[in-house]
Amino acid sequence: MTGSRLEWMSRRSRAQFAELLKVQSKLALREPYALFGGLALPAVLLAVFGFIGQANPGNVGSTGLTIIDVWTPTILVLSIIFISVSLPNTLVRDREIGWLRRVSTTPLHPSRLLAAQLVIDLILAAAAVLIVILEGALVFGASLHMQILPFAVSLLLSIVELFSFGLVLVALVPTQAVAQPVAGVATFGLMFLSGLWVNPAQVGDPLQTIMYYSPSGAAVRAVLDSAFNGGPSYAALLTMAVYTVIFGFIAIRYFRWE
Amino acid sequence: MNAASAVTVEHLVKRYGHLVAVNDVSLSIHEGEIFGIIGPNGAGKTTTVECISGLRAPDSGSISVYGLSPQKDRNKIRDFVGVQLQESALPPRLKVGEAVRLFASFYSNPLDPDQLLESLGIKQIVNSSFKNLSGGQKQRVSVALALVGNPRLAILDELTTGLDPEARREIWSLIERMKDRGVTVILVTHFMDEAERLCDRLALISHGTVIELDTPEAIAAKAGGSRVRFVPSQPVDEQTLRAIPGVTEIERKEKYVTVTGSGDLAGALMNALAAIGVRVSDVEARTGNLEDAFIKLTKDDASSFGKGVQI
Repeated sequence: MTGSRLEWMSRRSRAQFAELLKVQSKLALREPYALFGGLALPAVLLAVFGFIGQANPGNVGSTGLTIIDVWTPTILVLSIIFISVSLPNTLVRDREIGWLRRVSTTPLHPSRLLAAQLVIDLILAAAAVLIVILEGALVFGASLHMQILPFAVSLLLSIVELFSFGLVLVALVPTQAVAQPVAGVATFGLMFLSGLWVNPAQVGDPLQTIMYYSPSGAAVRAVLDSAFNGGPSYAALLTMAVYTVIFGFIAIRYFRWE
Repeated sequence: MNAASAVTVEHLVKRYGHLVAVNDVSLSIHEGEIFGIIGPNGAGKTTTVECISGLRAPDSGSISVYGLSPQKDRNKIRDFVGVQLQESALPPRLKVGEAVRLFASFYSNPLDPDQLLESLGIKQIVNSSFKNLSGGQKQRVSVALALVGNPRLAILDELTTGLDPEARREIWSLIERMKDRGVTVILVTHFMDEAERLCDRLALISHGTVIELDTPEAIAAKAGGSRVRFVPSQPVDEQTLRAIPGVTEIERKEKYVTVTGSGDLAGALMNALAAIGVRVSDVEARTGNLEDAFIKLTKDDASSFGKGVQI
């Protein structure tokens, strides 16, 4: 009796979630912030570095790596950053216009809406990883001698950490009008710290330390090391784990549905 | 014997910081009626219905919705209570049909989305994005979302604010059809014509308290009756007018005389003036309506209220 009821409930809530995923993905296609930032921008950026690499063959400094080798992991992390900072675009708006509140008057808890959005962005992040790796390796010949497991762990942790950061923005930013500039500044900061413009290996302290122990810098370092150096350093993984806990705490503590 | 009670609110109190939004509201809503909640801005209307719908937790007092507590039985109640919120929009690019089908999937016993849209007269906009809808269409979509779960109780907060007269009338007939289907409706409004036309009973809330709870007609009667304005063919002195039964107030402005009073004021006035040979022209008579009562009652309440709601 109880068992069948539970099963019925879960079947119904599965159906709810499937419908929600369907609608949220359609919206994601119509409002392609994450799609553009997560898939198109990195693909273009990688192409830019790919052509720079072809024009300047040979290794970068003493790293033993070509330009495209070095930039592929950075751009992987960038695409995750772009998807993360797009979270407030939809969720802050949905809260501001009263949509989350409207949903909370139905039997569906609005946390499911948040979950659906995260699932969609996770799928997007996976697609971005695939596109960047394939483009880097097949089109521009990046030599990723990666070990799958450490590489996957580094990427997954990067995604969790940076998505938590996106949720911090969702929690703290009050309105959509504020979300745009805040997300812009956050993106710029994370891009800089990831080493897009300044290679942390070539700068001195304290900037190098700051970059290595920043949310995006640690992510790039972990992904880079697991692509070329046999595995990520514990320091980089631990850094990301600590950020995830901190971001997760702030996001949960300050999240508002209305 | 009273009709079965759908909603019972007893001694509801809700504060926001130091502001008392709702101060001891008690009311009982019968099953199948359209129950109106009227009152000035900031009177506590929205807070009251938000507590009934479970969106806000009361500071004290008790609420029962079909025997359940909106706080404790949150999930059960949400399945049969449809809510239309004041100032709530849909994501701009969400299409009408998608929104209604999505909401239908949330409920255990939903209406057929297509039939519902048809009966609300918005089938033709099923593929339109929310951002492209007119005000009236948006409100009808909002009603559709409140109804698609096939609710026993629908809570509608300021449904027709910002709509043109025609759209308002369409929404009104829609609410009447909901009642015909046996849905209990709580309607928050600040339009007196709307309350007068639709509601079976009304609660007039002022400063967080129910100051009247009755039928619209009974509340309107408390406005103190009628008003007749006319132009007399020759000057009539005050005493003559005062002597007419029912007259309470006399006002003169240019050539017009305005008499306020109760009972069959116009009839009594005409007869008395005819008896002394005074003819009247430009007669305009108005019986007391809900709007008069509203203004009178809320003004009385404000003047007796003293120093406001800060504690």
